Amino acid sequence: MVATDALDEIRQICPQAEAMEEAERDYVFLPNLKLPPGRQPAVVDALLCLSPREGYPTRLFLSAPLPDRGQNWGQYHILGRAWHSWSWTHVQGAQRPAQILAQHLMALR
Amino acid sequence: MENRLARQSFLGEHSAAVLAAVRVGIVGVGGGGSHVVQHLAHLGVGRFVVLDPDCVEDTNLNRMVGATVEDVLRATPKVEVAARVIQAVNPNADVLPVKSAWQERGELLRDCTAIFGCVDCFAAREQLETAARRYLVPYLDIGMDVHPIGSEFSISGQVILSMPGELCMRCLGVINEAALAREATQYGAAGGRPQVVWPNGLLASAAVGLFVQLVTPWHAKPVATEYLEYDGNRHTLTRSNRLVAMLGQVCPHFESIENTGDPFWLPTAELAPGKGSLRNTGSLQPR
Amino acid sequence: MRVAFKITRRLVAGVQADLRRPHAFAAERVGWLRCRVADSPAGSLLVLAHDYFPVEDSDYVEDWSVGARMGSAAIRKALQLAYDTKTALFHVHLHDHRGRTWLSPVDSREAAKFVPDFWHVRPEMPHGTLVLSRDSAAGRCWLPGGQVVEIGEIIIVGAPVVRILEEHGEPPRTPELPRRT
Repeated sequence: MVATDALDEIRQICPQAEAMEEAERDYVFLPNLKLPPGRQPAVVDALLCLSPREGYPTRLFLSAPLPDRGQNWGQYHILGRAWHSWSWTHVQGAQRPAQILAQHLMALR
Repeated sequence: MENRLARQSFLGEHSAAVLAAVRVGIVGVGGGGSHVVQHLAHLGVGRFVVLDPDCVEDTNLNRMVGATVEDVLRATPKVEVAARVIQAVNPNADVLPVKSAWQERGELLRDCTAIFGCVDCFAAREQLETAARRYLVPYLDIGMDVHPIGSEFSISGQVILSMPGELCMRCLGVINEAALAREATQYGAAGGRPQVVWPNGLLASAAVGLFVQLVTPWHAKPVATEYLEYDGNRHTLTRSNRLVAMLGQVCPHFESIENTGDPFWLPTAELAPGKGSLRNTGSLQPR
Repeated sequence: MRVAFKITRRLVAGVQADLRRPHAFAAERVGWLRCRVADSPAGSLLVLAHDYFPVEDSDYVEDWSVGARMGSAAIRKALQLAYDTKTALFHVHLHDHRGRTWLSPVDSREAAKFVPDFWHVRPEMPHGTLVLSRDSAAGRCWLPGGQVVEIGEIIIVGAPVVRILEEHGEPPRTPELPRRT
């Protein structure tokens, strides 16, 4: 599970962030996450996976795909809900979760 | 048509009623899934949820049961072909065809008696099994592969019964991070993978047999977990040595209660605790 | 609101084995099933049992008028469990016979006293009580908001999959548990 101090740090970006887990992987649920300016939709629910999955060291899933950012969008079913993510493998796990989130969001600028 | 199921009365005194009452989810109704659909329709299964986002193409005609040239020309959704196959055999069946990636409509699988996964990648298998475990639904997985070996080919496949509370596909070595990572690097290559009808039929039949033994009492010792490996070159379908070695062990992969139920569930207005506590219709919130 | 309760065969077997253990003075044992919930597409509420916590030996109170009496410590621990783990809690005990079973008048009376207490800690969750026989089950669910319903369907997930449907109408009279002699 995500450490409390790491979660507090992420809550400075997304105040309602919650730690979650499924099948031995750690996630941070980020409701109403504001995406970088100019993106549509501007606000989405997001799920930050902090554990390796499908060859990605970490991954950010969104409740809706972004038509004009990212490549190879795929659909996923995690925690009983539908999510979308794109091909972006460059964010390593050995960082603070807030840094991981920031790097994923940078890819959507 | 009262005698329609007379020849399978050995399945049990009330088997016709039992099969009519079950609801089966089938994810992927192309190759293997089309055989599953057909088998279950003939058995008298009464309720179906079939999910597949695709339409029939000419390259499906070598293996998709029920698909026709007309379907290719019309680009018929595969789920419509499945519904047609079912209702031609059992007009009373309740069929919900969903032309969508199952990940978008996973909630439709929650109250299925069993889910058949007839998908073509490990990532989808893993997610399906995890979803099935979350809602305590038995999951049956089938899949086949054709591998070049020098100038020849090898056909292989598997049938897996993954039962909540018992060994999972991770325990059985079918799902692992290495396989998932390898698959992710081959993104885009899945569409042209070799596929052919007879292994699909064999694997689907075995999976349906495992399902029937779960819901009808036709023999005294139904199995809760199964992993059958198909060797298409030797024409064998045999229990995996991995399963034999692991029988009796407890699955550790879904131990946490966070793997059970809807983590975003809130009571509806009908169930509002006290006053003023309504379901969150905006962003999802875990409790 | 229709309630369907799902539990794995493995968990049922584990619960039955624990509930059959003898106790120093209680005629029967009781425990708690930790559950989570989900909505079914058909509009029912799915209650999904995940694991089991027995009431500890020292948390029983001697009371020869009933088969088992939990002390306040047992309730307090269960309340803490429900609160800490955000779960729906179902009290469970065993009628050790074959065939259909029902909550006895004592079961019903006692459950009505303590189950609503769980809303003090988890008001958003349903809570309830389940009784197992050797091959059947029945139960009652207290829904958030106060509605109390018989569990309409209990599904034991395993080999085989068994669906136990609640039968409408009056249950047969179940004899009270005999006093210890």
